Amino acid sequence: MSGVYDIERIAMPEAPPEYQDDTADAHYVPAPCQVACPVGTDAPSYLAYIWERKFPEAFEAITATNPFSSICGRVCDAPCEPACRRAASDGPIAIRNLKRFVMDQLGREHHLEPVAVSRTETVGIVGAGPAGLTAAHDLAVAGYAVHVYEMSDRLGGMMVWGIPAFRLPPGTIEEDTERLLKRCPGVEVHLNTALGRDVTLDQLKDRHDAVLITIGAWWGKPMGIPGEDDERVVDGVGFLRRVNGGERPELPEIVVVVGGGDVAMDACRVAKRLPGCKDVKVVYRRGPDEIPARRDELDGAVKEDIEFVYNTQQVAVVPGADGIVLRCIRTELGEPEADGRRRPVPMAGTEHDIPCGMVIAAVGQQAESAELEGRGMMKSDRVDADFNAMRTSDPKVFAAGDGAFGGSTIVVAMHHGQKAAYYIKAFLEGRDDPLPYRTPYRTRRVAVAQDLSWEKFPRQEQEFHGLGATPVEFPEIETAYDLETARAEAARCYRCDAETGSADYAVHHREDIFSMARTNAGDHAKNRAMLLKRLHLRENPYPEERPACLDDLVFLPANLSRLVIDPYREACRIDRNIAGKLQLAQPFFAAGFDDAPDEVRDSVAEGLAESGCGYIGARPIGSAPWLQVVGPGGTAPSPEAAGLIHALGERFQAPAAQRLADGQILGLAVSVPAVLEEAIPFALEGGFDVLVLDGGGGLGGLSGELGGAPDLTLLRDAIRILRRLGREEEIDLIHFGGARSGTDAAKLIAMGCVAVVFGAQIALAAGGEITAGGQMRYNSERDGGNRTDAVVNILASSAGEASMMARCTGKTNLHNLEPEDLRALTLAAAQATGLPLAGTAGWPGGEDA
Amino acid sequence: MATIDLGDIPVRQANELIREYGAKGEDVEVVNPDARHHIGVGLIHDISVRVRGSAGYFCAGLTDGPRFIVDNNVGWGLADNMYQGSIVVGGNAGAIAGVAIRGAEVVVGGNMGSRAGQVMKAGTLCCAGNANFMAGYMMYGGRIIILGQSGERVGEDMTGGDIYVGGAVQSLGSDAVQTDLPADELDAIMEFLDRYELAFTGTFKKIVNAGKKLRYATSESQVRSIPFFTFSGDSEYWSPKIQEDIFIKSQIGRYRIRGYGGARVLPHLSDLAFKSDLTGVGGDADVVSKVDMHTLIGGKNGAQPLDLSMPLMIAPMSYGALSSSTKQAIGLASSMSGIAENTGEGGMSDAQRGAAKQLIFQCLGGRLGWNIHDMLRSDGLEIYISQGAKPGLGGQLMAKKVTKELAEIRGIPAGIDLRSPSRHPDILGADDLVIKIEEFREATGYRLPVSVKMGAGRVHDDIKIAVKDGFDFIELDGMQGSTGAGAAEVLEYVGIPTLSGIMGAVDALDEIGRRDDIEIVLMGGIRDGVDAVKALCLGADAVAMGTATIIAGGCIACMQCHVGQCVTGIATQDPEHEKRYKPTLEAENIHRFLEAVRWQMAALTHALGHSATHQLSREDLVALTPEAAAITRLPYAPEYRDRGGQPAQKAG
Repeated sequence: MSGVYDIERIAMPEAPPEYQDDTADAHYVPAPCQVACPVGTDAPSYLAYIWERKFPEAFEAITATNPFSSICGRVCDAPCEPACRRAASDGPIAIRNLKRFVMDQLGREHHLEPVAVSRTETVGIVGAGPAGLTAAHDLAVAGYAVHVYEMSDRLGGMMVWGIPAFRLPPGTIEEDTERLLKRCPGVEVHLNTALGRDVTLDQLKDRHDAVLITIGAWWGKPMGIPGEDDERVVDGVGFLRRVNGGERPELPEIVVVVGGGDVAMDACRVAKRLPGCKDVKVVYRRGPDEIPARRDELDGAVKEDIEFVYNTQQVAVVPGADGIVLRCIRTELGEPEADGRRRPVPMAGTEHDIPCGMVIAAVGQQAESAELEGRGMMKSDRVDADFNAMRTSDPKVFAAGDGAFGGSTIVVAMHHGQKAAYYIKAFLEGRDDPLPYRTPYRTRRVAVAQDLSWEKFPRQEQEFHGLGATPVEFPEIETAYDLETARAEAARCYRCDAETGSADYAVHHREDIFSMARTNAGDHAKNRAMLLKRLHLRENPYPEERPACLDDLVFLPANLSRLVIDPYREACRIDRNIAGKLQLAQPFFAAGFDDAPDEVRDSVAEGLAESGCGYIGARPIGSAPWLQVVGPGGTAPSPEAAGLIHALGERFQAPAAQRLADGQILGLAVSVPAVLEEAIPFALEGGFDVLVLDGGGGLGGLSGELGGAPDLTLLRDAIRILRRLGREEEIDLIHFGGARSGTDAAKLIAMGCVAVVFGAQIALAAGGEITAGGQMRYNSERDGGNRTDAVVNILASSAGEASMMARCTGKTNLHNLEPEDLRALTLAAAQATGLPLAGTAGWPGGEDA
Repeated sequence: MATIDLGDIPVRQANELIREYGAKGEDVEVVNPDARHHIGVGLIHDISVRVRGSAGYFCAGLTDGPRFIVDNNVGWGLADNMYQGSIVVGGNAGAIAGVAIRGAEVVVGGNMGSRAGQVMKAGTLCCAGNANFMAGYMMYGGRIIILGQSGERVGEDMTGGDIYVGGAVQSLGSDAVQTDLPADELDAIMEFLDRYELAFTGTFKKIVNAGKKLRYATSESQVRSIPFFTFSGDSEYWSPKIQEDIFIKSQIGRYRIRGYGGARVLPHLSDLAFKSDLTGVGGDADVVSKVDMHTLIGGKNGAQPLDLSMPLMIAPMSYGALSSSTKQAIGLASSMSGIAENTGEGGMSDAQRGAAKQLIFQCLGGRLGWNIHDMLRSDGLEIYISQGAKPGLGGQLMAKKVTKELAEIRGIPAGIDLRSPSRHPDILGADDLVIKIEEFREATGYRLPVSVKMGAGRVHDDIKIAVKDGFDFIELDGMQGSTGAGAAEVLEYVGIPTLSGIMGAVDALDEIGRRDDIEIVLMGGIRDGVDAVKALCLGADAVAMGTATIIAGGCIACMQCHVGQCVTGIATQDPEHEKRYKPTLEAENIHRFLEAVRWQMAALTHALGHSATHQLSREDLVALTPEAAAITRLPYAPEYRDRGGQPAQKAG
């Protein structure tokens, strides 16, 4: 079980107030890859930006916490990838290679906005490796002037002296360091300035308010075996430094590398490329499952025909016939050691010799500094420092990186630099007891990639070139992704950070369940932390200001109590005759297209006619049955209309309404509940056929409907009045406003309507887009046939949904739905509709209560 | 030949005797049958059974191998689910003769009632007289031979198989079509008629599925789900989710389909808080040993109850919706944690049976994978009426998942968009259910608990029927329950929340004074020990978890279960995808999750001052929202939200 799921991810330590950290966001949980990354890189966001082709945004997400992104894009040991949740199924997302892709896309000139010096204090940093420069970056971004003292003639530390060019082409390091200096004009670099030789610690303490020691671990450790002082035995880091400095020494035919770490991998691959060398063997004391080298590099070395001799420990170096011999003994794995890895135990009687011309010992590194040694600031082969606060015995002097805490990776060194910068800032600001450092986690809240094949894509590998045509020139081993490959790979991301589509299994619930599944029963601390977390209470999802909404009504399904002897239930009728005068195949009207462009009107007209639906508006539309809206300032009543609907205003004023043709429907449209008390008796007495309940703010256009949820009290009150009068059956109710689906329509029908008017829904189907100002604008890219099909389809799907709701309740006719088939989920919805709250017996908002 | 006189002994005893003779290979004669129900059910031996007179419902039901002869008439459900074997009826048969047969030969000398051969999978149903309406309704395979008239709407919604009609075809059912009869098929029919000595001289008309409804015409474009908070509650009325829905529906002309359950924020157990001060909760690492969690479910009416180490079981989920590896992992985890697993719809595989120590076998309307042998090796039988995710509708399994292996276990054609029937052929009313339960008990010797799975709707009425019908327990599923594929609108807008469901159930049982006569297993959106303990406080006897166990085993909640290409290898039948799933590894993960739930339940029960989970009560709870208070009638106490200095989470 990985540390990714340890207690810190369950009970995330508090973030210092100055942090840029999003862990308090309820819709975000740092993904396993992000937690595994020592600098907390927001990998899911940059992957999602790659999908969206937003490379500057991806660049920001990558570089925000990582000033060596171009380098890391090629050579980071990428602990994110084994942590990837897709690793166990079909391979992790190629997070590292996609970082390189982004950096390559933008080129070396691209950088974040410069941050000017804004503080008076200065910091001196000794050593320009990843720890020192990252600390310099963070301090400079915080406004401090920083002076970096580097003993060599270039920036980068082990990144420049330790990594061979076939993995990290020349110029890459300069790309990152130049970018860093452009972003951080407050960083001043002093090259060829070694601690002790060119500048003393006292001088630095005098010049600066704080000093950070990041001197690295430059010197190889001895193997501790007889004969290793032979000149044909060299140390790994020294060997790499020579080659990376530009030398291409002639090597003997057979080279043996001792060790299984990253230095060993680089050393063996360098040796293989140098003139004279034919065979390279790597001797490692544990087995292939235990070797610490990054999988990619190991695979690369294997592909380059480097031989791995596992479970073998060096015993001595002795002269041989043709050079030297590395005397070895076989090992087997014993009990686990303190670090959890099993101890290699030599097997008696298995001594054997490996003849070779050269031995490269890559068994660890150490720091050296006479200056610090003299001041008692070294402890054995490291700078003596407290890892919890990155402090040395001198209150003004901090230490970080390999030199203080042992050989590690670039990204861990950067983490050290960030942590040191954090404590130095606290020191400079006079905060004695800052909150303990933790890696900050941010999210850019990018939508998940929408590739149809994200479930199927295998991991997209970069092309591997191996040694190349002229190995000694160290050509780069891999080719970067092209755009489409990169996007396909980015689309594979599960997006463990992103909110899900399910409230009950929202991302924080899902991740908690995931953590529970990775907690051992005996882990009391973790179990308790999780229980306390699960006891957190959610906010009220239905605060008082939340309006009543059709969403908050549900249908009651047929179960045991509604088993009717009716095997035909798959079929359900939905057609409806309005007032005995107008037959509709589907009980739907459209509205809101009076002012739409002609091509849209034509498509809507065709769609309505084909679907057997009607139109309500001031102007007729094609051959669809038309209920004409008439009223003050409107069009003149037409005898051609299937019906005349007289729209009432905010106050009741009896319209002079009459039928202009036999069989013409006569109707009233009401838009405010206050008018109902007068309008309904008037309509009943006047022999009106229909009452249109206009909850959409005006039948002619769509802007009212786009304004928000319809007022459901209009329908509730109309029904109550009709019921009180005992004349529910005498007039047909039609509802306009806020119907988005067949389900919404079914709810309105269940509450007492005979038909439902769709406005914005059909407009959206016909290619409409809602503008920022809340208006409908039509997309001109669609052709008429497409639009007509879309109108037919949206009506058909609405019909299907409405009948499905009826069938679920055990009905074989949509119009048999009744209020008793519905329940409210919120008190607001119960109040606005008069329906009972689900799970209660009463009808709290209803008259019958 | 042995003789059994139903004038002397009850059917239950008679069936036991018939099975005993079956085991010995001795033929049986039943005299004075008196049209009793369930004669011969559960018989799995190749013996001959002669019924001297008329039989009632489900004669020869749930059998494999025997040869029955009934001299006179039979009631409905003749040869229900019969595998191999045969039955010859001298007179008429009631409705659904040959329902769900899977290989048997069923011959009716007279006429047969409506819906003959409903959901049959294989075998022959032959009627010498006329059929009533909708013969071959929803049949998946096999053949029906009708020498007389077809009845109306013959072949209604048939998926596979053939219907041969010798008399008039009165009318064709939906998606049925008349086609040519090949000579070899005619020869096979004549061979069958000769074998059963039935004379026929006319010409046959052949009816098959027209194939218009087997697959959806246009496929829905696949998009990853929009987060729940952008389509309800705080969001705009015409939210991105609504616009996406409208756009996709305007392309496909029908409702959308997806996996998982109700996506929106609904009233939930999360809206309740514990009344006690829980600052010290879980301080004792060894709390599990201090709380009695042992729970027996299903023994109310004398059956062998499920023996649960805690009041928790796995919710029904099918092999079909889920991959075989996933079912295996869940089964292993359930065994390791000492709880029960459930087959869901679609049958029991050997792997599932082997993995789960206690396994409930679920029976759905399509009788997919249902059979006497698996009934006998199960630990509980469950009649599915509906589920919380899509109550009122049948199951859906997209063609991508209906592989050859899956089709074989379910007895259906491969590669169809399987829409299971929404109801049982033989359960049209509550009284039918009584007889159906009795059939199951008869067939399995009254040994197994029989439960009902139901989505929450009119719970108040439904549970009264369930208790009166004699179910041992009910698996009550709120609308937060999930599914592998369902119509999005039904997932979202049909059914009531789990919280409302348990209240309706408990209130109704109290009202009729029968709270102690049935056990309630509550499910739908229960994710952890906290939810579980709240459910127990409200009156559930146990809870079941489905989605949470799937997530514990690697599901990422992308809600694309219906597509069939589950990226984690869980909701898929594609071997390439399934191999991504590591059953033994995920079994360990699921087991650890279940143990974490156990620890949470114990810690909470202990902190609430109880020594056993069955002591939990409503008195331990308060409501945090007006809705939750109205639903549960618990004290409304929003101030508990801020207690203990724990910050509230914004959503979910």
